[in-house]
Amino acid sequence: MTSSLAERLGAYLTRAWGEPVAVEKLARISGGASRETYRFDAVLGSGRRPLILRRDPPGSLIETDRRSEYLALKSFHGAGVAAPEPLILELEGAELERPFFIMARVDGGMTASPFQPDAYAPHAAEIGADFFGTLGRIAAADPATLPIAEVCEAPALDGCWRRELDYWSGVVEADELHPQPIVRAAIRRLRRNPPTPAQKISVVHGDYRSGNFLHDGQGHVIAVLDWEMAHLGDPLEDLGWAIDPLWCHSETERVSGMLPRAEAIAVWERASGLRVDPAAFAWWELFASVKGQAIWTSSAKEYRDGGYMEPILGFSGWLTARRHDEILAERLARMEP
Amino acid sequence: MTPSVQEVMRGCAAALSQPPSPDAGPDYFASRVGMISMLANLAAQEADHAASAAIAENADIRALFATAKAYDGPLGGRLGKAAAEVDTDLSLTGLDAANAGLRRLLIELHERVEDAGDAVTDRAILALYVRMAQGRRLQLGG
Repeated sequence: MTSSLAERLGAYLTRAWGEPVAVEKLARISGGASRETYRFDAVLGSGRRPLILRRDPPGSLIETDRRSEYLALKSFHGAGVAAPEPLILELEGAELERPFFIMARVDGGMTASPFQPDAYAPHAAEIGADFFGTLGRIAAADPATLPIAEVCEAPALDGCWRRELDYWSGVVEADELHPQPIVRAAIRRLRRNPPTPAQKISVVHGDYRSGNFLHDGQGHVIAVLDWEMAHLGDPLEDLGWAIDPLWCHSETERVSGMLPRAEAIAVWERASGLRVDPAAFAWWELFASVKGQAIWTSSAKEYRDGGYMEPILGFSGWLTARRHDEILAERLARMEP
Repeated sequence: MTPSVQEVMRGCAAALSQPPSPDAGPDYFASRVGMISMLANLAAQEADHAASAAIAENADIRALFATAKAYDGPLGGRLGKAAAEVDTDLSLTGLDAANAGLRRLLIELHERVEDAGDAVTDRAILALYVRMAQGRRLQLGG
C-alpha cells in the first residue's frame, strides 16, 4: 500500500460509516507506549469529529488485548468515570494493516510526566481527590454487569494474586537479559506470603497512575486514558500501582505527587466502599513494583529486538528499571524476615 | 542493568538516523527527539560511572560470598571460588559478563538462605541489594 495513513483511514471510515469521510490533521502523538496513537479530525457531511486512533505497533512495551481496552472504555464511558467514548474496534486491521480502535478525543486537557517535579501544582490536592475517587468508583463497579466481562475472565477471590504474580514473574523469566536478583527475591517473598483474598472482584485498569489521565488545569480529571492492561481482579492491585513511588518522581510526602498517602487511601475507601487491609495492601504494593520491573524488563528486550528504534523503550528499560530496583530493594530491606 | 550504555548510544544513533514518518506530527517528533536527548544525557552519566559501579558491585557480591561459608559446600564450592576471583577484564562488556555470573550465583545463594530460614544472611543479602541498586542509580538531569 502506498497511500498515506490518513487516506487509508478515510477509506476505512467511509466504508464503516456508509458516507464519505475525509481525515484531516492526522498526527501521531506520544500518548501510550503500547499502541501507536494518532489524533485526527473526521470530516463528514454532518460536521467535524475530533477522534483518536489507537493502532497496534510492530513491537511494544507490553502485549495487550485491544479488545479488552475497547470494552473497558465502553464499560465506564458515561458511567461516572471520565473514560473517552469508544467508537470502532477493528480486529483484522483492514486498510490500516494492524488491529486498531477509534475513540472520541477529549480536547483541552493537560497531562503530566511522572518524572516532572510538582507536576500537578497548584491543584494537586483537588486533582488527587478526583484521581483517587475515580479509581474508587472503578473498584466499586460490578464487572459482571459491564461489557468488559465479555472478554475478561473473573478469577476466584483467592486466586487474584496468584494469577497476576504468575503472569508477571513469567515475563521476568522470559525476557530477562541480565540476572535480576532483586526482583526475583521480591517474587519469592510474594509467593511465600500471599495476601488475604480480594474483598470483591473489580475491573482493574492495570495502568492507573500519574501521567495516564488528562485534567482541566482546575483540579478535575477529564479523561482516564491507557486502559490497555484492563482486566478483572483484586481492586487493591490498581491502588498499589497508583501509589507506587515510581510515579511521584522524587517526592516522598505525597503519593503520585498529589495527596498524602493516608488521605489518598481514605478517598479511595470512601468512593469504593471497600477497606484497605494494611497487610494485604503491603503485598499489592510490593507486587506493583514487581509488575513494573517486569514491564521494564520487557521493554529492554523489545528495545534490542526492535533494532533500538523506539527511544521510549530504551528509557523504560533503563532509568525506570533502575528506579524500580531501588524501590524494591528498599521495600524488601524494610520488611520483616 | 539493561540495556547497556553501548546499546543506548547505538539506539540513539539508530533513532536519529531514521527519517521521521510522514504521519508523525511536529509534537511527536519533538517528543521523540526530547527522549533521545534524555537518553544521551543518561548515557553520559553512565559512561562516567558504569565501570566503577560494576567493579564495586562485583567486589561487594564477592565479599558477601566470602562470609557465606556455610553454603559453599551445598553450592559445590562455587562461592569460595567466586569470592577469590578479581576482575581482570575491565571493559564494560567484560565487567558485565562477570557481574552476570556473580548475580546468578547470588540468586542461588539467596534461595538457599531463605529455605534455611537464615535471617542473618538474609538481612546481609537484602542490605547488599540496597547498595547494588543505589550504586546503579541514574538521575534525570544529572
